Amino acid sequence: MSPQTNPIAPFSGFGLGLRRTHYEDFLRGDVPVDFVEVISENYMIEGGRQMRILEEVRERLPVIIHGVSMSIGSARGLDQDYLAKLKILEQRIEPLWVSDHLCWTRNSAHNSHDLLPLPLTQEALQAVCDNIDHAQNVLGRAMVFENPSSYLTFPEDEMSEWEFLTEMTKATACYLLLDVNNIYVSSKNHGFSAEDYLAGLPLDRVRQIHLAGHDPATPERDIIIDTHDRAIVEPVWELYAKALEMLPHLPAVMIERDDHIPPLPELLTELDRARAISESVLEPA
Amino acid sequence: MSTLAERQDAFLASILDEGAPLPSGWGNSQAAGMAVYRGNYRGALMSALAETYERTALLLGPKEFAQGCINHAIAHPPSGWTIDEAGEGFDETCTKLFPDRLEVAELAWVEWSMLELATAPDVQPFKPQDFAAASAQFGDEDWGTLRLQFQPRARARLVNHDLETLWQTIGNGDAVSDTKLEAPATCLVSRDGERPTFTLLDADHADAFAAMQDGANYGDLIAVLLGQNDDPAPEDIQAAAMRAGAMLGAWLNEGLVTAINP
Repeated sequence: MSPQTNPIAPFSGFGLGLRRTHYEDFLRGDVPVDFVEVISENYMIEGGRQMRILEEVRERLPVIIHGVSMSIGSARGLDQDYLAKLKILEQRIEPLWVSDHLCWTRNSAHNSHDLLPLPLTQEALQAVCDNIDHAQNVLGRAMVFENPSSYLTFPEDEMSEWEFLTEMTKATACYLLLDVNNIYVSSKNHGFSAEDYLAGLPLDRVRQIHLAGHDPATPERDIIIDTHDRAIVEPVWELYAKALEMLPHLPAVMIERDDHIPPLPELLTELDRARAISESVLEPA
Repeated sequence: MSTLAERQDAFLASILDEGAPLPSGWGNSQAAGMAVYRGNYRGALMSALAETYERTALLLGPKEFAQGCINHAIAHPPSGWTIDEAGEGFDETCTKLFPDRLEVAELAWVEWSMLELATAPDVQPFKPQDFAAASAQFGDEDWGTLRLQFQPRARARLVNHDLETLWQTIGNGDAVSDTKLEAPATCLVSRDGERPTFTLLDADHADAFAAMQDGANYGDLIAVLLGQNDDPAPEDIQAAAMRAGAMLGAWLNEGLVTAINP
């Protein structure tokens, strides 16, 4: 039974991840963004410089907290210590929303620190929904979950990923973070249509879009890897435009760069392009 | 146990151990995908360790550092939700792997301690002048029962190398020469405002600091400084009291004391 949670109101705007390399830029307060997103786990701490900086940035900008370690697909349930610390951060920062990924990262003994794929089965769906109910209950708010990139599918799969996400949102009243690059990466790795994926989702539940770069396939490795370490490729920009055409409203759009982080102007140029595409799609001349 | 739990155990076992059999029913496409997840896992751990142990990596050199990381990851696969924890105990791994280069393990201990301090709760130091005012009317009993509260996660240990020089030398990109100390010293890691830092003090600080951190009072501290001397002469007690006073002054000046009689 899904706990009662308040709906997440749509927030339209363009933002960046707050990364250490750009702390000084954001502290100056003149970065032209509408919000920032931070990796939850980097701030589930007690004090120190990075927490002070986040709190200073939060005074000027809305913040989204985006996790990588909730392990919402863990068959053995959620880590209570993790949830307690996430709740403290949520209360301290009062974010627009709290997000994580449709994946699992750990079992009872070890943590892979990677976003591992789930078999798309009824059993996994039930485990995910039970865990989302638990997390939303602890946090006292609806959460947002991101579609992952994946590098394998399971022989036991019973449904498509978009069907899984649709059932998940219906059962838990959670929302979606649409990672357009991840859709592109998985569609190439597993041979499905990215457009079918978009068309199959409950797009009214989308509250955020991620745009990122990836490591292309090579002659030796016929798999695209989601790396967030380079510029966004043209097919992903095109898929982003298609997604905007299909969405009922403009969500929060973010350029996600986690490695080989360039100077801020380079990311702002990509963000300007995301803005321009949205203007051309949503307000055609 | 559910089928999903069993499959997740098998999946993770395959990531951690390349020799482990792939889960049943898997073919070539799953094997190719697993190779990516294995690479991601190892890459993430290497990156996390390299970020935590920046100077240790420079001291060791890339080949030896990679060897240390691989050994550490195999012996201590991470279990916590933060990848930073993957670096815990790396100094012990270095002690085992590089027994002829113990400055490596000591430097790794400093870097790990500084990482932990960087995110410790923010506290204000108890200023020397405030301590002077608070203790102005202390009698013998007040001094004997005085307890100190230190910065959260501050720590001390004995070291045998001049880590201050080593730190500077590596930071400047200069060649490292022999840094062995003539006698052991205490390395005290603390925070100066938001900035983790460390300093080398006389060797007797290590036990004294640890005792006070564990709740000993000032009277106990004098006993610690007297060590195994069961029948101290008055001048020994006087010397220990003087030494305790000097230590207290040093801790206050370093900003380590955050409260008295907590």
